[in-house]
Amino acid sequence: MVPTFKLFEHLYNFFAVRRTILFSVTALIVALSFLASSRLQLQEDIIAMLPDDSSSVARDFRLLQLAPFTRKLVITLKGGDPVDTAALVAVADRLAERLKAAGIENVMTGPANITSGFFRWLGASLPNLTTEKDLARLAAGSSPDEVRNRLRISFEQILSPEGWALKGSVQEDPLSFSSLALEKMQFLNMVPKMRLIQNHFVSADGKSALLVVDSAISMTDSGGSRDLLERINGAISTAVPAGMTATVVSGHRYTLVNADTIKRDLYVVLTISVSAVFAIYLIFLRSMSAVFVFLVPTSILAIATGAIALYDVNVFAVTLGFGGVLLGMVDEYAMLIYFSCRQGGKDPAAITAEVSRPVIFGAVATLISFGIMLLSSLPGQRQLAIYSMTGIVAALLMSLIVLPHLIKPLSGLKLPLNTSGGALRLPRRAVIAVWLAVLALCSWQSTNIRFNGELGAVSMVTQELRLAEEELAKTWGNMRGKALIFAEGADLESALALNDKLFALISGRIPAGDLVSLSPLMPSDALQRANRERWLSFWQNGRAAQLGRDMAKSGEVYGFSKSAFTQFLATLTTPPPATTLASLRAVGMGDLVDSLIIRSPGIVRVLTMVPDTPQVVSALSEEMKSLPGIHFVSQSRFGDNVGRAIIHDFSRYLTLTSALVIALLIVVFRSPSRVMLALVPVVTGVLCMLGIMGMLGIEFNIFNIAATILIIGLCVDYGIFMVCRLTEGSDHTTSRAVLVSGLTTLAGLGALALARHPSMYSIGITVLLGIGTGIPAALLVIPALCSKDTE
Amino acid sequence: MTRILFLCAILLLVAGTAVAVQTMKPDGSAALFTSLERTAGGVSTISSDFVQEKHLALFKTAMTSRGHFYFSKPDRLRWELTAPVSSGFVLKGDKGRRWHERTGRTETFQISQEPVMKLVSEQLFAWAKADFTWLEKEYRITVLQEAPAALRLEPRSAATAGFLHHLLINFSADGRYVRIVELHENDGDYTRIKFVNTVVNKPLQADLF
Repeated sequence: MVPTFKLFEHLYNFFAVRRTILFSVTALIVALSFLASSRLQLQEDIIAMLPDDSSSVARDFRLLQLAPFTRKLVITLKGGDPVDTAALVAVADRLAERLKAAGIENVMTGPANITSGFFRWLGASLPNLTTEKDLARLAAGSSPDEVRNRLRISFEQILSPEGWALKGSVQEDPLSFSSLALEKMQFLNMVPKMRLIQNHFVSADGKSALLVVDSAISMTDSGGSRDLLERINGAISTAVPAGMTATVVSGHRYTLVNADTIKRDLYVVLTISVSAVFAIYLIFLRSMSAVFVFLVPTSILAIATGAIALYDVNVFAVTLGFGGVLLGMVDEYAMLIYFSCRQGGKDPAAITAEVSRPVIFGAVATLISFGIMLLSSLPGQRQLAIYSMTGIVAALLMSLIVLPHLIKPLSGLKLPLNTSGGALRLPRRAVIAVWLAVLALCSWQSTNIRFNGELGAVSMVTQELRLAEEELAKTWGNMRGKALIFAEGADLESALALNDKLFALISGRIPAGDLVSLSPLMPSDALQRANRERWLSFWQNGRAAQLGRDMAKSGEVYGFSKSAFTQFLATLTTPPPATTLASLRAVGMGDLVDSLIIRSPGIVRVLTMVPDTPQVVSALSEEMKSLPGIHFVSQSRFGDNVGRAIIHDFSRYLTLTSALVIALLIVVFRSPSRVMLALVPVVTGVLCMLGIMGMLGIEFNIFNIAATILIIGLCVDYGIFMVCRLTEGSDHTTSRAVLVSGLTTLAGLGALALARHPSMYSIGITVLLGIGTGIPAALLVIPALCSKDTE
Repeated sequence: MTRILFLCAILLLVAGTAVAVQTMKPDGSAALFTSLERTAGGVSTISSDFVQEKHLALFKTAMTSRGHFYFSKPDRLRWELTAPVSSGFVLKGDKGRRWHERTGRTETFQISQEPVMKLVSEQLFAWAKADFTWLEKEYRITVLQEAPAALRLEPRSAATAGFLHHLLINFSADGRYVRIVELHENDGDYTRIKFVNTVVNKPLQADLF
């Protein structure tokens, strides 16, 4: 026997006289693991499945978090029928007050900070903002005919009831040049179907009001999200009268729905899997020793969870959800030891050494499967790998070192349900024929399988949430679903200059209502300087003087005094100071500016938003590459990219895992036919899983791919056990071990298939189908093929 | 914003025909206010011509315009300029309509969705309903003369005081309607509106509104 396997014989003999120490140390490790597990904090968000490396997907995800409405909660207040807009606005105010009373301070019902000086400032800033195209319009707007027409309108406005209010603007801007500047404001409308009524955000149909809540609570914080939403719902219940409704949309709601679903699933899955595994043990083992076999995987759960807690206290819920899988997976080693030791007939130390060979090979194959996942850029996958590998190693050690000391041989008695005294024997040809037919059918059906790479396919989205999103988009336009373009610079000026280039490139193709950009209102210093110089040049050479004469002449007709427009004429040749962030903040544009200028250490980003449509995305993606420092992030494209990245990741792992497992089998068996035999459960499991899913119309998503790795890891164990048993003269306890451990695995994974969360369900259904077909292949097909092999 | 506040103040003045009569109770002039309140309470309609004089530095001389004003309790108002241009608006409940000779267009609007008109109507009806609490909250009111009554109203809010220095309101001898309103701005400009040919409680044609 190989020295490695003799080691376990020596270890058995060593601990045979020191069992108290062995059991105490084991109990201590389990207890400490429980203690470490108590530090865990559950994380239920999708971050587990998003790359955290330096890839473009990871960068895009970080950039998407900077979008104005990504971080905010939006509340749509809908009026009754008929809608009284005044009442709606009053309720919006009341709700804002109640929210503030509930500790939610940053609530906006409208652009409340815009000051009365804003429009004056806007008009005065015109020389800083005027483009070549604008000047052409000014030239037309200052022709003698147009001057006469505009002064007539100004005259009439002053006589109207509104005249008192308009006197100042008539003096400062009698020809309405500032309408050019006002047009630039269209590029700052982030809510397409919104208008301002009584300084409140009201929908175009006047039936809904909008409240925007800015919260410091991260969307990935489920506890904080729960508290926040409870406070918001409390405020809504006291502020919104019957007949009106308030709908909250934010990432926090998604987090909460996913967290609640996962928690419920964890409870259901772990309860059912532990109970089912225990029941299987009772049926097949029927011995007090079985309790110890059961304790191995359950202790492993504690040890693996404790190890993860030591690695990182923030544990993805999906990882713990995998506990059920691990429970069903690691018991096969204990099972093999149990049945072999229980069968007896030899020195327990020798039995342990003998069984250690298939157990170690099986464990190594599974470790390879999970070890490959450590290379993943997905944090959830890496954590899962650590969790599973720790569990497998612990299970291996516990099964080979501790468990043999806890099992008493039956001394001549038969094992429970061992009526035939051997593995189930069916007609060899029939088994092979049925197997080939099933493989052929599944291969054919697997071509029907549809792949869904969207993240949404593995995230819990309730009907209520879906409807809320649809209603939001219908009422306000697509305010949360815009594609983002970031102009990055080392400082504000360089970022603004790049943003100017970007705006020049895209503004002609995307209408103002769809394009959100700071450039028209806040160009870089360099562009402002160029604009001012162009403005001054435009009014030189007698143009300003001529305009003054035309205005005096036309003004006289309407009774305007000679000095009426002196102030206006002076501004044509006296440029204003540059527009700065401070000046924008001073007139109440601070919130808007802060939404579009995002500062990080060493980087300033200026955000532009465009429609996230396939046409715009495909047209702009290529062009953006010509502007260094510009990052284009499309939410729709991001989902596709994540899907592609994950598929690429897993495809690589599948290939690597398959190659390494085959390499291991070659090393272990050194015979092509035996290697092929050991692969029978894997090939059968994977093909049948794909075929049945294709047949049932179940979509294949990113979690199904992850679960495929599990199928390989588990089924190859069964293959190794069975080939070892059949070709190396092991007894029939192996078949029993494979059957019982397979059933426990199915119990653990079957429970996952009852989960409501798409990610857990996907893992459950995949492994259920793969293992459910892999076990019969191991128990029936390998012996059928093996008899030929050995003939 | 300036425009909105101005318009509110202006229409407040227009509506003040009934208002001013009812609300002042400063300086021991309770008897006057009680009398004005009782008198104004009996007014259900007002029909009047007006002459508006704009004394603005913007013009070489005072600019005069003419028009008609109609008011009917509880919620109807028509302000119509006839010379030198034709324009105006009507408020009726929550609905409104405005027109202009130059554009040749008439457009309807919902008062609650027009901030300016909403404030106008709010103030108008506050005066018509003799909402003293609201008026005293908005203005400091001084009685300049008891018979016929003359009041001076100074805005309390800084925002309104930014463009409006004070209002002068002169009532008719019987206290039933406003005869002259003057709006004095901070820069010395002022507008005077004289209501002439005023008829109180005459049935008004429904199509006026």
